[in-house]
Amino acid sequence: MGIIKQLLYFSVHPNQLRAIIQWKLWHDPVHTRNPEKESATLRQCFHYLQLTSRSFSSVIQELHPELLVPVALFYLILRGLDTIEDDMTIPLEKKEPLLRNFHNIIEQEGWTCNENAPTEKDRDLLVHFDCVITELNLIKPAYKAIIKDITEQMGNGMADSANNQELNINGIATIKEYEKYCHYVAGLVGDGLTRLFVEAKLANPALLKRPELAESMGQFLQKTNIIRDIREDFEDKRRWYPKEIWSKHVDNFDELFDPKNLQKALNCSSEMVLNSLGNVEECLFYMAGIKEQSVFNFVAIPQAMAIATLEIVFQNPAIFTKNVKITKGDACSLMMESSQNLRTVCDIFKRYARRIAKKNTPKDPNFLQISAACGKIEQFIESLYPSQDPKALALIHKGEISAADEKKKAEDKEAKSDVFFLLIAVLGTLLVISALMIGAAYLAGARFDIALSELQKGKFFPGHQPGGAESQNIVQNHDHGEL
Amino acid sequence: MAAKKQQLGNVLVIGGCGFLGHHIVDLLLSRTISKVSVIDLFTTRNRRPDSDGVGYFNADITDISALLPIFQKVKPDIVIHTASPTAVGTNNALYYKVNVEGTRCVVEVCEKANVKALVYTSSASIISDNNAMDLINADERWPVMPAKSQTEYYSQTKAEAEQLALAANRKNKLLTCSIRPAGIFGEGDIQNIPNFLNVHYTNRTNFQLGDNTNLFDFTYVQNVAYAHLLAAYALLQTSTLSTPPLDHEKVDGEAFFITNCEPVYFWDFARGVWQAAGRYDGTEKVWVIGRDVGLGLGGVMEWAYWFMGKTPKLTRKQVKYSCMTRYYDCTKAHRRLGYTPIVKLRDGIQKTVDWFEEEKRKEGEKKGQ
Repeated sequence: MGIIKQLLYFSVHPNQLRAIIQWKLWHDPVHTRNPEKESATLRQCFHYLQLTSRSFSSVIQELHPELLVPVALFYLILRGLDTIEDDMTIPLEKKEPLLRNFHNIIEQEGWTCNENAPTEKDRDLLVHFDCVITELNLIKPAYKAIIKDITEQMGNGMADSANNQELNINGIATIKEYEKYCHYVAGLVGDGLTRLFVEAKLANPALLKRPELAESMGQFLQKTNIIRDIREDFEDKRRWYPKEIWSKHVDNFDELFDPKNLQKALNCSSEMVLNSLGNVEECLFYMAGIKEQSVFNFVAIPQAMAIATLEIVFQNPAIFTKNVKITKGDACSLMMESSQNLRTVCDIFKRYARRIAKKNTPKDPNFLQISAACGKIEQFIESLYPSQDPKALALIHKGEISAADEKKKAEDKEAKSDVFFLLIAVLGTLLVISALMIGAAYLAGARFDIALSELQKGKFFPGHQPGGAESQNIVQNHDHGEL
Repeated sequence: MAAKKQQLGNVLVIGGCGFLGHHIVDLLLSRTISKVSVIDLFTTRNRRPDSDGVGYFNADITDISALLPIFQKVKPDIVIHTASPTAVGTNNALYYKVNVEGTRCVVEVCEKANVKALVYTSSASIISDNNAMDLINADERWPVMPAKSQTEYYSQTKAEAEQLALAANRKNKLLTCSIRPAGIFGEGDIQNIPNFLNVHYTNRTNFQLGDNTNLFDFTYVQNVAYAHLLAAYALLQTSTLSTPPLDHEKVDGEAFFITNCEPVYFWDFARGVWQAAGRYDGTEKVWVIGRDVGLGLGGVMEWAYWFMGKTPKLTRKQVKYSCMTRYYDCTKAHRRLGYTPIVKLRDGIQKTVDWFEEEKRKEGEKKGQ
């Protein structure tokens, strides 16, 4: 956006500008990384982190010092793996061993890779990958083992997909395959991060016993991105929507982009949204298991962005023609709100669930299921933070307190004390002002003693000119007595 | 209960020709191994074909002398008591007579006839004042609304009857429990779906009372019937135990909320019904009438129609219901009875609407002849 356009935009959307300014001014990171104490290679790693990730780099850099470096390296390694997988110019016979072996490669001091096409956007990272490897060999062995394990699983998953002719020609067929894909690219990340958090004692170890929760965290983010990026992926000749879903609405995937099929296309994307909404409960449950604030922010911010993104793409015809994103102002206020506690995050989810329900339309065959999915989210949040208390209701029923009485009593009490404080305030103000006026008059030389004695004589109104001869007389008389 | 059919022995369904009752009879026949008998005031409607072997008995449940011989003949192991006048349009004396006195008679006869288990059909409305109060994710810890705050006499009598049924648990050998269904709908329903369909047939679907952020539980009748079967089975199992079960597992003497576990926004349910009937209209042209305005309108309509001697098209009660949050948490039924709905909300609505459309078509044919 040009500056003029931005100015125009913000002049009619002051709230957006306000949110951005607030985030910039008041956002107080829980932890701040200190580049001065870092080695040259580590600084280089953070340089690549900023280059390769727009959304994650800032939240990673605010992580607890214990996890700052492991998580940053974890991100860079997976980004490296992804860059190899993405590059269609690398032949399969070269690509497959790289993917399957990547977990060993990341231990080979000095390894770099120049194979990527010059157009690959994160090519630089792999060209200088030795800095990541150097740093990885310095972190605690427990963290390194987790990173290696996830890298191995993901590399093998990617190699399997690259080898799958059926998948490469016809694309993802079933919802099961779709979720399997999301598992390899995102669910595994959730698993790895959770193990890191627990290892660092910053999350509840019970999370490891419920691996489906971490899985959902990854799935929800990935699915949301897939739904949003339908147009961009289509232009890059990629398709992640499973045939099981889109074939219910159109015969060929391309038809989704034909404006005359708009309603069908919307129905198709709503069904994808419905599928994603199914992960929300587990995401909220997962976040309840995080103990440390910076880790909480790290997991909660992307989730808040995802539910907001899901809402903006829902029933939105624009997703078939362009890239739809939440506004920067909304992103800032979401970051503010989600980097607090589970309750504020639940408020965000409830708000967006209701917005989705509001955009939901009976034109859509999944109308009722979507309504129920939103209801389910609300119900789950209600189970975490109940708004009704059965014990209080029982007391009200027993007549020990009647709801109306209780309220009235409280209001009366409040009203009484309100009046009291109001009086005190008024009197106090009067007193202060009087004191000031009297004090000022005194300093200016007013003769209160004379005024008082004149008043005692019953002379309430001075019948003479101020400062006149008669006044002088009175002062004289007062001071020297009526001799 | 899916794979192997459960043995329930002799089962007597009181009110087995009613809306819920006949669905219970259907499910008993298809899902269990049991000898089914039915008591109802009239046994001509909703009757199974003779080949199914269901024994039908005409009797008034407020008359012990009529019930006892039937019980002695049938020798039921399980009694499922669903008989009740419909929630609207009946006079208070009848509610009291059937719900409270009828239930008292049923309990007494069960005890005399050595029945093992009694499942009583209560109502989820008994914890609401049915006027201004929201129920947000309510569960069995929520107190029953005392009579003085209850605005629906029907609900008051259901609460009293539930109390009678539960108090009888383990007094002698009888085990009892209570099922509290919320917003039952289904084939043969005369309260929910016909009203919604009527709005669709008369093209009044473009009005909405309230902002539609209120979640509401509606429950497909087969799921409610299924919960009764699960409860009966659980009580029967308990009756074979030599020691009473632990507090957190017990079913006898307990009440259970039963819903479809899919609360939806009130007007979304209505639109779901209309969609099932073929109306795929969007919501762009819908007029939203706020709750307060609606209450005012309802009041005016009530007076005006009362003056003209007609039934108003909009009442304050309708406004209150459609703006009320009312949904429940069925975790207790899930844990102790193993209850999970067998029919999803959308499918339940479709089945119901198809049934009503078919009935309408038949009606049309009759008139055409």
